[in-house]
Amino acid sequence: MNKEHKQPLQSSLRVQELLYGLRIIEVMTKKVFAVTRNCNMRDVQAIMKNNSISGMPVVDNKRVVGIVTMNDLMNALEQGGMEDSVIKWMAGEVQTLAEDMPLSFAISAFGKFPFRQFPVVNKKNELTGILTFRNINHALIRELSRQLREMEQQSEQPVDRASLNFSKVYQLNRYDFENGGKASSRIKSFLKERGVPPKTVRRVAVASYELEINLVAHSIGGMLGFDINENRVKISSHDRGPGIGNVENAMTEGFSTANEWIRSQGFGAGMGLPNVKRVSDEFAIESAVGMGTMVQAIIYLKPEKQNESQ
Amino acid sequence: MELQRIAHALDADFICGPDDWEKISIESVVASDLMSDVLMSDRDDLLLITSLSTEQSIRSAGIVGSEVVVIANNKTVTEGMVELAGDQGIALFCTRYPKYEACVRLGRIMEP
Repeated sequence: MNKEHKQPLQSSLRVQELLYGLRIIEVMTKKVFAVTRNCNMRDVQAIMKNNSISGMPVVDNKRVVGIVTMNDLMNALEQGGMEDSVIKWMAGEVQTLAEDMPLSFAISAFGKFPFRQFPVVNKKNELTGILTFRNINHALIRELSRQLREMEQQSEQPVDRASLNFSKVYQLNRYDFENGGKASSRIKSFLKERGVPPKTVRRVAVASYELEINLVAHSIGGMLGFDINENRVKISSHDRGPGIGNVENAMTEGFSTANEWIRSQGFGAGMGLPNVKRVSDEFAIESAVGMGTMVQAIIYLKPEKQNESQ
Repeated sequence: MELQRIAHALDADFICGPDDWEKISIESVVASDLMSDVLMSDRDDLLLITSLSTEQSIRSAGIVGSEVVVIANNKTVTEGMVELAGDQGIALFCTRYPKYEACVRLGRIMEP
């Protein structure tokens, strides 16, 4: 979360920042009920009933090997399998989430998979929590209420035409090359009108444009957010998928997964992300296959802090 | 070098641009159909030669601060491109020469 400034953000940017800023570990239920392979369906029924839960991971030495839900329980009951081992009835292919992933990835996972809960694992792949939609709703409501209170406490500030304080989120759709670049043009004019040096404006414009084109060419759609104050421009790109399999490759100059059509539009030379990094003072990327990619690029507006190589 | 000389050397058709386009100063040239390469450029007073006749060519030029775009091979220029060039104050030209030949011609007159 952005702690350095207190200016009210545009609402969608606030939500976007929230989804970036919150990590799964902060939101998940840490008290997890799980069963081992040795348990039978009768045990499962007792634990679910006593704790009012609708599903449980099955673990072997803290590793998740399956998930058993109310549905499996009903099937077992119907077919007289209550004394069977849980292994017989559980779903063996489980999608887990990493605890340090941003919440936005989890939301994509809920959209992509039919599961109503995801086991959460740490770096050692050990079960540390469980994430349901309820967790996400609670976290979002809690955070949004906190921010609303904060905004109410702030007195309204007059609009200043010379002020650099600005925030806005643009939506980008897949293959919409016609609109890809509009946001960057607007931000470029905004900075130019406020007397930001041309070289700095160019760096912001290049980073923003490359990210815009990435959203249009490579993602199934997403958002590009700008958060500007007198010290820096922060550009956040956030898409809904498909996610990058190997981020290191994506950061290698010349590596590209672009198809012929993207190339016919003049893009896909494999220079996009490296170019964003080149012009940025701070750069961060996170991605997970099936869940999405987020990139954050910061460009300082105060010369003493700027990237020396520019 | 003034744009007027360049336009003459390329036998380029003026499509749209600011009133005083003849006086625009050009110090360097990028010739590419890959906009990613164009975006890597950090030169000033830049002219873009490209066979990519799309709005993205105009946008990319605008992003790197280039004031002049020359479309090679006499490719058709769309209305959208003209409108965008107008918005961004970019002078837009079309030349019958292919990209390579256009570069050779520019190289001859721009050589110090």
